[in-house]
Amino acid sequence: MFSLAIKNILFYKGRSLTTFLLTFVSLYLFIVYVAFMNGSHQSMLQNALNVYTGSFQIYQKEYRSKGGYDYLIRDTRKPLQILADTKGLKAFAPRLETFGIASSKTYSHPIMLTGIDFNREEKLSELKKALTQGEYNTHGACLYMGENLAQKLHLHLGDTLSFVGSAVDYSFVAELFEVCGLFKTGMYEFDSQSAFMNRDYFDTLFFSKNMATYIVAMAENLKHNDAVATKVEKKLPQELQLYRWQTLMKSMVQLMEIDSLFGYISMGLFFIVIFFVIMIYGFININARLREFGVLRSIGVSDNKISLLLLLEILLLTLFAFVFALPLGAYTAYYFQIHPIVIEGMSEMYKSYGVVSDKVPTLFDPLTVFYNSLFLFALNLLSIVYPIYYVRSFTPIEETQHV
Amino acid sequence: MFKTILHLAYKNAFLRRSRAILLIVMIGVSMAIMITLEGLYDGMTVHMIEKTKRSDSGDISLFAKKYRIEGDIRFHINDADKKVSKLKNLTGVKEALWRIESSGLVQTARKSRPAKLIGIDLQAEEQFGKFSDFLQEGSLDFGKNGIFIGNELAKKLGVHLHSKLIFSMQDSKHQLQSVAFRIKAIIHTTNVSLDPQGLYIAREKLNQLLSLEKNSATQIALMSKHTDDAGLQKRIQQEFPNLNVQSFTELYPQLKETEQIFKKFNQISFFIVMSVIFVGILGVMYVSILDRVREFGILLSIGYSYRYIRLQVLFEAVVLGLLGYILGALLGWAFLEYLKNYGLDFRLFSDGLSMFGLDSTLYATIKTAYFSSTFIAIIVASMLSVILPLRKIKILKPIEVIRSIG
Repeated sequence: MFSLAIKNILFYKGRSLTTFLLTFVSLYLFIVYVAFMNGSHQSMLQNALNVYTGSFQIYQKEYRSKGGYDYLIRDTRKPLQILADTKGLKAFAPRLETFGIASSKTYSHPIMLTGIDFNREEKLSELKKALTQGEYNTHGACLYMGENLAQKLHLHLGDTLSFVGSAVDYSFVAELFEVCGLFKTGMYEFDSQSAFMNRDYFDTLFFSKNMATYIVAMAENLKHNDAVATKVEKKLPQELQLYRWQTLMKSMVQLMEIDSLFGYISMGLFFIVIFFVIMIYGFININARLREFGVLRSIGVSDNKISLLLLLEILLLTLFAFVFALPLGAYTAYYFQIHPIVIEGMSEMYKSYGVVSDKVPTLFDPLTVFYNSLFLFALNLLSIVYPIYYVRSFTPIEETQHV
Repeated sequence: MFKTILHLAYKNAFLRRSRAILLIVMIGVSMAIMITLEGLYDGMTVHMIEKTKRSDSGDISLFAKKYRIEGDIRFHINDADKKVSKLKNLTGVKEALWRIESSGLVQTARKSRPAKLIGIDLQAEEQFGKFSDFLQEGSLDFGKNGIFIGNELAKKLGVHLHSKLIFSMQDSKHQLQSVAFRIKAIIHTTNVSLDPQGLYIAREKLNQLLSLEKNSATQIALMSKHTDDAGLQKRIQQEFPNLNVQSFTELYPQLKETEQIFKKFNQISFFIVMSVIFVGILGVMYVSILDRVREFGILLSIGYSYRYIRLQVLFEAVVLGLLGYILGALLGWAFLEYLKNYGLDFRLFSDGLSMFGLDSTLYATIKTAYFSSTFIAIIVASMLSVILPLRKIKILKPIEVIRSIG
């Protein structure tokens, strides 16, 4: 049966070549397309998490729904100790955010002032890497602020500004600061509204010792984030709640899901057309061989064996195309993961959508490649179902008389 | 003769019924899905651009020279009312209005956020971009201390209708001003720069708070009568040399770029799908002709001209292509009509879509171009698909064919 299938494949060159080419092209395109789609999503997400968000955050239970100083983490020592005892974390740090008005000599602008531990943040976020001028790790009444914010306030390095806001006990806070460092992450809103200062002096001003709006943590490997987060979650005091990046970045996650959905729908269109063409060629081929099948059945070859022969033919053709398309597609996906395509100016154009890098890498994931190949494999086998049904609808005599 | 050839072509096209039906279904289904996707993708960008224009930029916006760089209220436009009247009288301008904007800090009892306060005239906004369409909750009446809030900002602040909030900003004399408002309406424009930051109050009131003349503006926006704005932009720039005149594309380059990406994606999809359809028709026609080599040999030997055979085969291919097209056009039109009227409900992904400036229900557009371009492509593909089989007939020697089969 196997050698008969091989002979048929070699004999009906037109059908074999078309099926081979269409299968090869669709599998190759599918692997590369999905790799680019997943790669760009992962890069967008990884960038966003690395810049500031981390892979999970811990809040006082009602903070995210109600907000404000009333729902701060009042004592960070216990959760910080839990995090310190947990394996698989790259870094973690408490942050305390407050909003107020910053003013230079002439200009005023609303800002988000965050008290951070510069040393911990260095391992946790891209804040240090984003430094463009001055110093990153500063002490006392010194601010590390976004370049766009400095521009709005007409401030330069070394200039003085005032900040007006409220301390965690709702008392009035007013202080003069020096611009000690400037940063640019590429995220416009963030760079035009944020300023950071060292936690020691922040706590003195805002009466916030051992308090935090939230604690941010980054897993060593994002793939293991869920497991690490679950471990931490189990040990956390009841009044605290842990949010994973999927919740923190809900909008971005949804945006990616919908982009993937449309990507698969578009690929689905190609598959439908290709499926039909492979089926038509298979059908034409079978039509031309009806007499042959009639003879085979007359000499005692069963219907099932004929079906098996046809299945074997498409199986071999598909496998043959896979032998070429699979390694080539996988190599392309892998190559562009190591050497991402760079589209100059892309991040500038799409910064409002969270794109902070011009690189468009692929994501080479053997499991995704395997599943995608399996899907196409099944689709190819499916294309022979109707032709088989068609063959079986004739009697051997009808087949031998078929013109 | 022509009628006979046409009749023969039709009969022969369905000589192998299953094969013909398979081909027609392939063309029809592929085409229907393709134009549905085309309409949906176009619809997404069209709605995104249209809502951005209506809620903010219009087709062209005018700013004081340094305003866009400095973002400082000092760089405002004086006598905006007169300028708007003048603009409305220009040929090609459909509608125009002016707005005033100031950035500041919005505060509730518990939360604070940077935001921008936009002074609008409700009547003018209604004429300009049908502002009432953006109302998500509440009523469009500012009253004494009323304020409208962008839905994303409301979410971030955790406020609802009738909640109280305070907005602090710097006026044109560099003095800090703080004003209390009560939320009268929640606005959902899908504009990514407005919904997460926008607050709206009456234009006169904001001018007063900013210590500006009542006809001061930070932006004049206009809608043009025609889509090609290049000429109009130049004329306006000549008319107002001291202002910065910017088109929608200059203000929102990412949206234009997104539209271009979708367009290119549609073109590539169209090309790939049509190429595969061509391969399908080619296969069917090739085999159909090979099946009838004897018939063509006999026809040629009794003096039937090759010209007529060519015409007959061409008609056969076109008939199959055309029937596939009709099926595809009908299915595609039905899908698009449904998506145009009812849309595709993506409420599950509403946060993600709003991040991209899209509504949670995606609507499609229907353009004649979808049907005309597909019609041309399918007819061309059908005609091209018979070239190779026809060459086979052309080199046919009738006597040999009859002898070989006999």
